[in-house]
Amino acid sequence: MIRISGVSKTFSGRGDLLDVPALRGVNLTVGDNEFLTVLGPSGCGKTTLLRMIAGLIPPDEGSITVNDEPVTGPGPDRAMVFQAFSLLPWRNVLENVAFGLQVRGVAKAEREDRARRFVQLVGLAGFEQRLPRELSGGMQQRVGLARALAVEPTVLLMDEPFGALDEQTRRLLQEQLLRIWEETRTTVIFITHSMEEAVLLGDRVAIMRPRPGVIDDIVPVPLERPRSTNVDRVERSAEFVSITSLLWERLRDMQVELDRREDPADDGSRRGTSLAALGGKEGGE
Amino acid sequence: MTAIRLRAGGRPWRPGAWAGSVIKTGGFGLVIGLIVWETLGQTLRYTFLPPASRVAGRLVDLVTSGQILPALATSLTNLALGFAISLGFGIAIGLGMGVSRRLAASLDPYVNALLTAPSLVFAPIFFSIWGLGRQSIVALIVTYSVFVVIVNTSAAVRAVSSDLHEMARSFDTSAAQTFRWVTLPAATPLIFTGIRVAAARAVKGMINGEMFIALIGLGKMIQDAQHQLDATTVIAVLSIVVAVALLLITAIDRIDMRLNGWLPRTERGT
Repeated sequence: MIRISGVSKTFSGRGDLLDVPALRGVNLTVGDNEFLTVLGPSGCGKTTLLRMIAGLIPPDEGSITVNDEPVTGPGPDRAMVFQAFSLLPWRNVLENVAFGLQVRGVAKAEREDRARRFVQLVGLAGFEQRLPRELSGGMQQRVGLARALAVEPTVLLMDEPFGALDEQTRRLLQEQLLRIWEETRTTVIFITHSMEEAVLLGDRVAIMRPRPGVIDDIVPVPLERPRSTNVDRVERSAEFVSITSLLWERLRDMQVELDRREDPADDGSRRGTSLAALGGKEGGE
Repeated sequence: MTAIRLRAGGRPWRPGAWAGSVIKTGGFGLVIGLIVWETLGQTLRYTFLPPASRVAGRLVDLVTSGQILPALATSLTNLALGFAISLGFGIAIGLGMGVSRRLAASLDPYVNALLTAPSLVFAPIFFSIWGLGRQSIVALIVTYSVFVVIVNTSAAVRAVSSDLHEMARSFDTSAAQTFRWVTLPAATPLIFTGIRVAAARAVKGMINGEMFIALIGLGKMIQDAQHQLDATTVIAVLSIVVAVALLLITAIDRIDMRLNGWLPRTERGT
């Protein structure tokens, strides 16, 4: 169980720049074994929220607990998957997957054994000795996923993990992630720009709004599981379509309201940013 | 035409392929250079431009008469000592400056000043401390080569991607683990760029030290020959110095490939 209560964060501006309020008064509870997706335009603070749960940055106000333990820094109960993969380019697949275990002092033979299991789980058996640069982006991110899973965390934090991949690869990885999650059943917080991805994967979708980042709404996704075996049918179901269009309505209303809130006498540069944020839903940041 | 086949199992001999491989290895430029040198030397007949063939002959004399060996041994010892000290201190100080912002801020002005200052100006200082001894030359080699190692190493450490550091931190690494498993391997390629430049500068420091501080080793041979206006010997000894530098750099490249083979070729400095 993850409890986030009253969390605020402001990044202080450098020099003449104004302080940037990233998050204000965020409350959120994520149940055990829940798959929560977080959806929102660029700059809504969703990555900041995830990094705070990971313990990489502290909140200014409020508190975060994971299984009733307050988060004061990174810990063995959480593991993160990064948008940029963040593999060590000089290590082969097996050594990359074993990284977290090595940090914990697991002996070489044992950690390679365990790493090999997770390499298999993500479907990369036979690629253990390859270097990251010899793999496609999709395969690299599967290494990133295996590395996170290998430390057997209770919470998996995924920061737009498929944002940098092309559409086909992204779809295959979504299916694979569903299958793995159905097997391992860890708690997942998954950040995304894509409405379809949010609905396909999540038990609930948290919608965030920017400036300052707050949670706008939480939409339940009552689609039945397992979904990994019939992704196509799920995506064509009436429920899927109605939830995604509901999400789109929310996001569009939010965007219209944000655009209206902009000062018309403004030089237009900020309007440009918000339009970019809207367009950014399909692509990377 | 079975007659023109290289060795057993070799590919058919093609002049084009042979010329191609010579061009690729840089041998082509060397051949042209030697021809130009020889021609100019033979036609101009300047005292200070002996033709290549005469220098080559002198080189053979120097080696066969055993004259070169003690000088070479002395010089190589100076070089080894100076370069080793440069690497040890250079990498240690550079890593420290890369990791600690405070150390970098306090040392940066000195390192940059000493990097740009002509190193030979320190010769009188060393001379006054150690006299004509080996220490003076070794110290000069160090001033020639240590600063470029420091600058490159600290830049290398600072250039390590913050994404990788954040990844490591998310697995709750200790500072020592992050340094050993992330920072150091990521910084190694750029550190080697500095080491390669430092090697060339160390050889320069060695020869300058031996010519202008204490007359020993290869530097003494050059200096003596210069006094006798013997340009042939000067160039013959210089070619040995160049060979030493090239061998040293080749050895460094070998180690570099070994450690940093994971880098794709296009991203390598060489």
